[in-house]
Amino acid sequence: MAVPVNEKRNVSQSEDQLEKVYVWQLPVRIFHWIAAFSILILIITGLYIATPFFSPTVHTDATSNEMGWVRNVHIFTAFIFTLNFIFRIYWFFAGNQYSRSKPFTKEFWLGTLETIKYYLLMKNKKKHYIGHNPLAELSYWIFFVIGSIIAIFTGFFLLFEPQPHTWLAAQFAWVPYIFGGDSFGVRSLHNLVTWSFVIFSIVHIYMAFRDDWLSKNGAISSMFTGYKIEKKQEDKDDN
Amino acid sequence: MRPEKTIYESAIERGVSRRDFLKVCTALAATLGLDYSQSGKVVQAMETNKRIPVIWLQLMDCTGCSESFIRSSHPRTENVLFDMISLEYHELLSAAAGHQIEENRERIMEQYKGEYILVVEGNVTDDEFLTVAGHSALESLKETAKHAKAVLAYGSCSAFGGLAAAKPNPTNAKAVSDVVRGVPIINVPGCPPIAEVMTGVIAHVITFGRLPELDRQGRPKAFYKLRIHDKCNRRAYFDAGLFVESFDDEGAKVGYCLYKVGCAGPTTYNACAEMRWNGGVSYPIQSGNPCIGCSEKNFWDEGPFFTRRAKIPGTQTTINPEKVGLYATGATAAGIAGHAALTAMKKKKDEKANSEKNSSQEG
Repeated sequence: MAVPVNEKRNVSQSEDQLEKVYVWQLPVRIFHWIAAFSILILIITGLYIATPFFSPTVHTDATSNEMGWVRNVHIFTAFIFTLNFIFRIYWFFAGNQYSRSKPFTKEFWLGTLETIKYYLLMKNKKKHYIGHNPLAELSYWIFFVIGSIIAIFTGFFLLFEPQPHTWLAAQFAWVPYIFGGDSFGVRSLHNLVTWSFVIFSIVHIYMAFRDDWLSKNGAISSMFTGYKIEKKQEDKDDN
Repeated sequence: MRPEKTIYESAIERGVSRRDFLKVCTALAATLGLDYSQSGKVVQAMETNKRIPVIWLQLMDCTGCSESFIRSSHPRTENVLFDMISLEYHELLSAAAGHQIEENRERIMEQYKGEYILVVEGNVTDDEFLTVAGHSALESLKETAKHAKAVLAYGSCSAFGGLAAAKPNPTNAKAVSDVVRGVPIINVPGCPPIAEVMTGVIAHVITFGRLPELDRQGRPKAFYKLRIHDKCNRRAYFDAGLFVESFDDEGAKVGYCLYKVGCAGPTTYNACAEMRWNGGVSYPIQSGNPCIGCSEKNFWDEGPFFTRRAKIPGTQTTINPEKVGLYATGATAAGIAGHAALTAMKKKKDEKANSEKNSSQEG
């Protein structure tokens, strides 16, 4: 097979210059996939609870507990999601440099601006980031962190709403004051945040594939192996 | 009849037997949400407490709450009216009228300072929109509320503003709690409230001499602690995933859950499902009509009824969340497709530029 000389040489050159960098530690990867699958389950069951999109086609008595089971799955998964989220808060402090984010620095916001330019296919001074770029981190702060906090607190309020006299319900009695105002507001917010997770997930998956495709850094497989392929002599302090 | 006699005495005087009196007290204890063992407390209170003078103001209202009130069955309205309270002023029910009744209101306010209960039906408006007996209704309310023992805000209008407060609210209709300060207010929302809840709240105040336990919206917990959904007679169909899709389908006939046709039961706090209406005969959901959430704040602006909606937080705008969500997802997918195409074009261009650069370097 005829291969152009220059291209062949390029490949061999770059192979020399490449190295594997351990980016995503095992707890981060486990967290990621638990979050991914629980979000998927929570979205599907959540949308069913909000708008039941399938029903028995034959008319029966109320014996099947279909909605009951969907709610059970939703609630069980929600507990897993919550524990997973709490673990990630711990790992934010315990993990390596790539498991952290510093949104209160000038660098972060300048980086975000440059990354936005980069994604708008404009001229930019975006640095190369081995971990997440600041725009990605910002999207996690907004859609994942804030979104999860809203979903978790409104969710637990809704879960304990039928037992207002219990200790657990009392722990979430404050939720309407902050999220949504009244029962209808809390419920609406919980419903709407579902859709922000849908949109976030779609964009997130697209961005991951795009990054892998453009920089050939193994971004997709890195979330299984933990390793990304990077050029040598990279400034490793830039996150 | 002057309110000096005890409740028991006036009942006996009316020819009620001791046995019937105890029956009424036991039923009342149940209505108040008390344990059976506590019915003795109710009996004792009824034997020793005097009838309480009540002034009932009708502000901007439809008299629906009064209509509901006179249909109470446990305790019966006549028991409440003749035994427990002394209704001194009521536009609908008082036999007297005109100057006579207005004088009576002022006399009661003088004579029973701090002892009478003020019931308010209907909402408060700006001065120019409501005048009763030549006085500004707003001023009458303030003046009457000042020395009341407690204010009972009957109905969603007086509790939360009600239909007249719906956007754009031309009369600046307000809840009683927005105007009256320094007096305990019990909100008894509903459009109208359940009769037994109205009489039950008043009976609680008489029995125990203090306000019932209230929730964060000022509603008595005994009647408003649970959602209609929690005690709904169609709940089994909800759990089974069997829903009415439209009002003329087979499911509607069988009595499936009304969730998909906009039932507000899951977000409405009221006792309809337990106490029901007209002496426990039925209530809207049982009769095949989705709950419209008439006892919730702002229900008048959070329509339309009969479709499932979600409220945009901080507003009273409702949307169909799934429809909006699907549109947003579609727009996102379209955006991604466009972005991917542009990225591919740019990549190709950059590669071409690079290879040209490389070959020119070599050359």
